[in-house]
Formats: sequence, structure tokens, C-alpha cells
Amino acid sequence: MPTSSTTSAAWRRAEARLRAWFATLGRKPAPFQRAAWRAWADGRNGLIHAPTGTGKTLAAVGGPLLDAVLHPERGLQLLWITPLRSLATDTAQHLSTAVTAMDVPWRVLRRTGDSTSGERAKLRRGDCELLVTTPESLALLLSYPDAADRFKRLRGVVVDEWHELISSKRGTLLQLGLARLRALRPQARIWGLSATLGNLDEALATLAGDGVLIGGVAGKRIQIRTALPDPGERFPWAGHLGLQQLPRVLRSVLEVRSALVFANTRSQAELWHEALASVWMEPAQTLAIHHGSIDPKLRLATEEGLRQGTLRCVVATSSLDLGVDFSSVDRVIQIGSPKGVARLQQRAGRSGHAPGLPSKILCVPTHLLELAEIAAARRAIAAQHLEPRRPLRGGLDVLAQHLLTLALGGGFEADAAYAEIGSTRAYAQLPRAQFDAVLEYLQHGGTALAGYPEYHKLVRGDDGRFGVSSLRVARLHRLSIGTITADGSLQVRYLKGARLGAVEESFLSRLRPGDRFLFAGRHLELVRVRDMTAYVRVAPSRRGAVPRWYGGRMPLSGELSDELRRTLADADAPEAELRALAPLLALQRKGSHLPQPDEVLVERTRTREGDYLFVFPFAGRLAHEGLAAVLAYRLSRMQKADYGYAVNDYGLAITARRLPPLTDATLRELLHPWHLRSDIRASINLTELARRQFREVARVAGLVFNGYPGSAKTVHQLQVSSGLLFDVLRQHDPTHPLLWQAEREVLDQQLDYARLRQCLIRTARGKLVYVETARLSPLAFPLWVERLRGGVHADDWKSRVERMLATLEKAAGR
Amino acid sequence: MNEVSMQVAGETLELHSERALYWRRERCLLVADVHLGKGAVLRRAGVSVPTGQTATDLARLAVLIDLYQPQRLIVLGDLVHGDATAQAPWLRQVGEWRRRHAAVQMTLVAGNHDRHFDARSLGFDLAGEALQLPPFTLLHAPATRADSYVLAGHVHPGIIVHDGWRRHRLPAFRFAAHCGLLPAFGTLTGLHDERVLADERIVAISPGGLIPLT
Repeated sequence: MPTSSTTSAAWRRAEARLRAWFATLGRKPAPFQRAAWRAWADGRNGLIHAPTGTGKTLAAVGGPLLDAVLHPERGLQLLWITPLRSLATDTAQHLSTAVTAMDVPWRVLRRTGDSTSGERAKLRRGDCELLVTTPESLALLLSYPDAADRFKRLRGVVVDEWHELISSKRGTLLQLGLARLRALRPQARIWGLSATLGNLDEALATLAGDGVLIGGVAGKRIQIRTALPDPGERFPWAGHLGLQQLPRVLRSVLEVRSALVFANTRSQAELWHEALASVWMEPAQTLAIHHGSIDPKLRLATEEGLRQGTLRCVVATSSLDLGVDFSSVDRVIQIGSPKGVARLQQRAGRSGHAPGLPSKILCVPTHLLELAEIAAARRAIAAQHLEPRRPLRGGLDVLAQHLLTLALGGGFEADAAYAEIGSTRAYAQLPRAQFDAVLEYLQHGGTALAGYPEYHKLVRGDDGRFGVSSLRVARLHRLSIGTITADGSLQVRYLKGARLGAVEESFLSRLRPGDRFLFAGRHLELVRVRDMTAYVRVAPSRRGAVPRWYGGRMPLSGELSDELRRTLADADAPEAELRALAPLLALQRKGSHLPQPDEVLVERTRTREGDYLFVFPFAGRLAHEGLAAVLAYRLSRMQKADYGYAVNDYGLAITARRLPPLTDATLRELLHPWHLRSDIRASINLTELARRQFREVARVAGLVFNGYPGSAKTVHQLQVSSGLLFDVLRQHDPTHPLLWQAEREVLDQQLDYARLRQCLIRTARGKLVYVETARLSPLAFPLWVERLRGGVHADDWKSRVERMLATLEKAAGR
Repeated sequence: MNEVSMQVAGETLELHSERALYWRRERCLLVADVHLGKGAVLRRAGVSVPTGQTATDLARLAVLIDLYQPQRLIVLGDLVHGDATAQAPWLRQVGEWRRRHAAVQMTLVAGNHDRHFDARSLGFDLAGEALQLPPFTLLHAPATRADSYVLAGHVHPGIIVHDGWRRHRLPAFRFAAHCGLLPAFGTLTGLHDERVLADERIVAISPGGLIPLT
């Protein structure tokens, strides 16, 4: 619904006021900003995409402000959704400035998990026109019976950093929240702000259904340099830490006033921070570390230090990819391959804020083949082949959470709720049977609990509407909204009380009091674990384990691996990286074959410890892991044996004492996409993977409750773990919707089923090159040193026990 | 294999893969940490676990009683998980089960979970904190006694068993020099793994049977 014609004199006068304010800042509205303002006035939805720091916020808020000048109204007008709580404060300030400048009598408030009680009280009274909040806090607002009243004057929603949310369960939750808002207030516009993505149309459709795509100014020029090995320098063929490059990195850091060093995983960041600290000649407090498991307060202090220029070097992970601008950063260094085109572009954009100068990034390869990845990333950036961020299919766990929210926020009727939920992209394909199964779970606790009315969360009233009758259910639900981001982690804090952050339970469960570990750039000693908190003290000596975070390593993106295959095959590539790589590629050509973009290379090599089969589909480590398991399983049907496997981003290795004889034809059969899904089921211990995945599913769906904030009462004290629940449900209620959800997440996310299937189809259509090599080729070597990830035994518990007993007896007899 | 015999403090103990231990000379069947009614406690706390554990666990005990025909069943603590209202359905099931096995003497060594509940109402004798059956002292929480070998429960012992590239986390019997630990009998119980001591004898319990590890 258009609110005012952009050709009207009143609108032009209002716009002139906005432009006048721009002029006082010494700027002029960019064409994309004015386009966004006009589209808002026309009542349209839209998505604005532009690099960070180019004025997206003002593009989005301008329209609503002009609207407010023309039609002043009290009550909540604009909802601003931001993915990070820490960004909410900054954003609220930024928006307040614009509101004041436009002389609009709006009150700006933020509502996040860490709002003060004063802010919350104001909000409850409805004392604000612009509310800055997170997807979880929106869900919370919708869970109160007065939700309809609160949003009755809403003119629109702006979702900031939509690209950060789209591929996550939080994005799904937000889609559901927006569907609710749209039902309450059909004329509200929905706008998103996003970095440039490979699938902007899809991003827009997922957020708003339809609307306009508005592109911002082009990003800065990006200059990618590489820390090349010196001629004659021995450079490793494998590895991912890259610490041998420390002198080069240190020199590069010290050349400038302040530098950001990006690592790919939190463990790698900890190790690099430690390595830099050990050779750091500057004051110790000028070197810091920043990653997602470190306590928000410490992270904030680091960000503040970067902004003020008191820090000379920060080692960070993708936790610093997002949001806040650091104009004082002079140099960005990337350790290892960035694994994605968009990520490298984003990180490079962190430096060089001086106008007219390009952003510069120094890439530090950790092994030789990464030289090619860097060159490929540079080519992909030049061509702007960026990765898409695919929206998730709606999960049943998020659905369960949302249905309870609907029930609390005034109740719902099943058919209407199904239609409303089906209006989102995430749940457009949701079968009614699954919707009903989730409803059944909430209503009766699943089939096995049907006879116990006291455990029912949802109650169906006489009028057919679903609601919640128990105050306890309501309270627990509101407390557990927002747990999507939390993972099964323990707080780490000093005995005296200062908090350091969180590490995963699985890591801490291996430690005993007195054990040492490296965390948040400190050497710590575990004192005790109590109430989901690990109490530590500073360790007297520097030695100990580095926490490993689950799922730390990103797979090589599809865009980058396509470009990589082309780059490797490009015989006369001009890049310095490829010249440095030339001797290695020559070795590969001589001993085996260098695959062309339409080829899949298969090598077979006999080593002292057995036969190895190497396959190089270049499809990323997740897809390779699934493929390796399938291949091992298919081999075991040809010839019964124990097969182990290893994977990396380029390919996979299968090993056995003796592999069966193979020909091109048998290889084609082994790599065929037929029966892929059933072969995956047969080859991978899906149950075990699903059991791990179930933890998050159970928490999001409210099956387990994580405890009151700040109170010590936890699921742990109830002595029930999600793993135990998983086993019990499988036994007594095997069709439970949450079990199904966990398995689907394993296939979709952990094994990247879609990419695996695509890769096999490509292989079936393309050329297969099979080479038997006398010794390990340069491509094969990194796989050979990679730890074995898994394997296939055709067995059950009975034969496992027999085998283990036999092994034990042999060991005892020796 | 479902049964393994083991010499402990000069006596022969038979370990069973249903997480029970039979002492044939005294005709005693020993189990620990049964946690009856735990499902109900969890459901009351809002965790929707399916029903049926109590029935399953009682049936498992019945099978063991049929198999060994013991004179006495001794529970090393934590017979019930929490407070129970008189009309709790699982309590009725336990009562019926007890009447079916009226000939068997049943004794409870008090555990930390048993303080809210009077097991005498179910026809159990209360042995207090410790039950002396030389050469053994039966306790709930493990401890060392100078004069006798301790058999205890409480910790829900588990062990990680490596099988090639795989690792399995399994419940286990663990016998150290002066103290032996029984696995938790209840279906709805978790595991706690401790470091293995050098002189410990461990028998892991897999779905495919017992695995003596040392």
C-alpha cells in the first residue's frame, strides 16, 4: 500500500530535508539510496545489497523517516532486526542520529537478550516508535498475548545483515516471525540489507516473497598479495597450520600500525596468537585474539581497541567478518586458504578505508597447493563469482518452537496456522502430515506419552483453538526462545569470577582438574567444573591442549573449487602463485595426470601399509566424506575387507590391505549416483551422527530445557542428556518428528548430500582418468598424511565383539 | 558372551550383560542404580520422555531372577529416582512385580536418591548405608575399607572402547584393588567415564555382550 506519492510536493519537501542533512555531513545521497526511499514510499518490499560501509542503513531508514515526516503517528512504526546483540547498540545509536536529524519525534529503543529492565518496561508500555531487536527477541514479543495490539501500527520491518541469517535456523525462525507479523499487519513492508551474494533473487524471495532488488555502489578494488615461498625454499605439500610462515607474518604485521590476522578455525587462531605472542616485542597488550567462543565482554574490548587504534594486531576468525567497521585497520592477513570467494572479499574489505585506495589483503598459504586456491579466489573475485547462501528447509524443531509461540501469543487454529507457516519459503513444501506430527508432539508429548495429560504443552480448547494452559510451560518456553545460538558449551571463568568465554563440553570432558589448556590467548589450568562452568586459573607453565571446536573447518566452496579446477588446468597461467607452483604441477603431470575441468582423476598407489585409491572430485570435504563412505561400502560389496578412508577439500583416499582389481568400467560403477541415498544409509553410521545432531534439535524444539539464565538448575542436574533421550525415543517412539529432523540435518548439513549427488552426476557425465602411479603424487600426498576419518566394516555388534575379543587375546598372547 | 566369571576377594562373581552381578555361593543377585520412576520425574520437569522404562527394567529384573533363582536381591542404592506420589502408575507396577517375586528377599542399601522414599512400602529391607557380607562390604557410593572389599554403584561407570577407527562409549563393570563398581542397572541412566587405573579389571557391556578388557 503506497503511503504517499513520491511525486507529491510534500514528499519532495521531506526528501529535501533528508538531503539537506546529508549535505551537512558533506555527502550526497547515492542513487541506490534514493531508489530505496522511493520504493518504500510506493509500499514495496525489497532487498538492498551493497558492501559494508556504503550507506545501506540510511538507504533503508530513509523511507520510513520520510513516511514519519508526512504521517506522524505514535506507537511502534518500524522494527529493525539485527543478527547480533552486540550490533544492536551501535545500530540504535546510528538510527537515533538520523531520527534526530530529521526532527521526527520517534523514540528509539533496543530490545535484546541484554536489555535493561527499564528498557523492557518502556517497551511493554509501548513507548517507542523504532525498535531494534534480534530474531529471538521478536519471537519473544510474539509470544505475549498482546502481540496483535503491539504491532497494530507497524509500517515495516528492516532485516539487517540478512545474508548472515538466511542459511541458519535463526533465519527460519525469522521467516516464521515475519509471516506472523504479515498476518497481523498485512500492509507492513519487509526490507532486507545484505552483502553481495550469488543468489540475491532467492534471498529476496525468502525474506519478502516479492519486491525490488536495489544494488548499491560497487565495492572497492581489492588487491590480493600472496606470501610466496622463496625460490629454493622447502615448502610443505600438506598441513593447515602454516606456522613456518611466522617470520613473514610478523614482519608484515609490524610494517603497519594495525593489522588483522584471520585464521579459519578457532583452534588455529589460538595457536597463531600464541606463536605471535612468543615473538612479540611490542607491549603485550597490543596483541589480542577474537573468536566466537570468547566472552562477549572481552570481544567488545578487543573491538574497541581496534577502533581506537590501541591494538597493533588482532588474530581473529569469522567472528570479525561481521558488522562493525574498523577504519583504523591498515592491513589484513589471511592464514590459509579462505575456502570461499565471498569470505576473502569480505575480509579484504576490512582494510584500506582511505577513499580511492584499494583494499589490500595478504594471503599466507599453509601448504603449496593453497597457492592455487589463492590464485583461483583472485580470479573469482575479479569475475564476481560469489557463493550463494542457500536458505534452509524449515526444520521441525524450529516449527515446534514457533507453534508454542503462536499458542502463547493468543492461540491458533490448526488450518490457519498451517497456511500461515506454509506461506514462508522455508515451509512451503511442508507436508501436512509432518505439521500434524509436530502438533501431536506438542499436544501429547509424542505417541508414547498420550496418556499423561499433565505433560502436554499445547491444549486444544472447546473452540478448536490451540493454547497453553500451564504457566510453567509458558515460562519455560519464553526462557528457551533464543537458545538456537547456544551450543552445548560450558562457561570458562576464573576462580575470582571474570568470564573468559565458552568451550564445548566434549573438549572439557576429556580434561581433569589440573590439566592445562590454551584458551582466549591464555594458558589456563582447570580447577573444577561445576554448574556448567569450568573454573580455571592461570597456568604456571605454557603447555597444554588447544580446544577443538566442533565443525571448525569450512569446506571449500563450490564457486572456489570450480575456479580452482580451471586454474590448475590453465597451463599458461600468468599468476605468480602458479609460477611458484609450476614445479609441483609438473611432478603431478609426470607421475600421474593433471585433471582438466571436465575430468575426475583417480589414482591407485601401492604403499608399504597397503593399497590406496585416490579420487579427486574437488567437491569439498563434507561431500567427500559422504562419498568416501559410499565408495568404501561399494568396494566392500565387491570384496569383503576393512576399508579406511581420509578426505580433504580436493579428494578422498580409500585404503585397504589389498584393493580389488579395478578398471575404468568398474570405477564408473563405483562412482555412479544410483542408489546413493540407500548406500549412504548403509555405509555411514547415520544413527551415531544423528545422535550428536539431536542435541541441538532437542534444545530448539524445547524437548530439553537448558536452565534458567543465571541459575544453576540445569538439565544436567536432572541427569538426562539429549543422547540418552535420543536412545529412548528411538526405542519407544521411532517415528518421533525430532528424530527425523536430526537425520535430515545430518544428510543436508554434515554430509552436504546435494553437493555429493551433483558431484557424482558430473562424474558420470564427464571423463574419468584412471592412473596407477608408482609413488604418491603431489595431489595424493596430503590425503595420505591426513588422519583416517572413518571406514566401513560390514558388521553388527556381535561380530564387533568377536573381533575385539580376538584382538585383545592376540595382544595378551604376545 | 552374556556371562563372565571373575575372581574378586577370593569369591567367584558372575557378571551378566543385563548389568547385574550374581554371587552364587550366597545366592545373591546384585544390581545398582535402578532409578525406577526417573521418566516420571523428567516428565514432571517438562522433559517429554516416553513412558515404559520402569516396565522394561522390572521385566529385565524378572528375567534375571528366573535365570539365577536367587535367595536375595540386593540393590546398591538409588532404587527409585525421586519423590513419588502414591498414585504414580509406575509405583503400582513395582508393587505388582514385588508380589510376583514374594519369595525373594529384597534389600536396599541406601543411596542418595532413596532418601525421599520409603522402600519398605515396596517390601524391601533397609540395610542402611552399608551391608556387611564378608568378604564384601556393600555400599552405594564407592569408598575404601581397610578390612574388606567394597562393592558399590553410584558413579554409573562407563568406558571408551576403541575398535579400529571407531570408539564406543559403553557401560562397564570395574574392579580395582579394593573396590568394585557395578554399572547402573536402569535403562534411563547416563554414563560417567573415569580414567582407568593400572590395576583395574574392566568388563565392558556392549549390545552384543560382555567384553573383558583386561
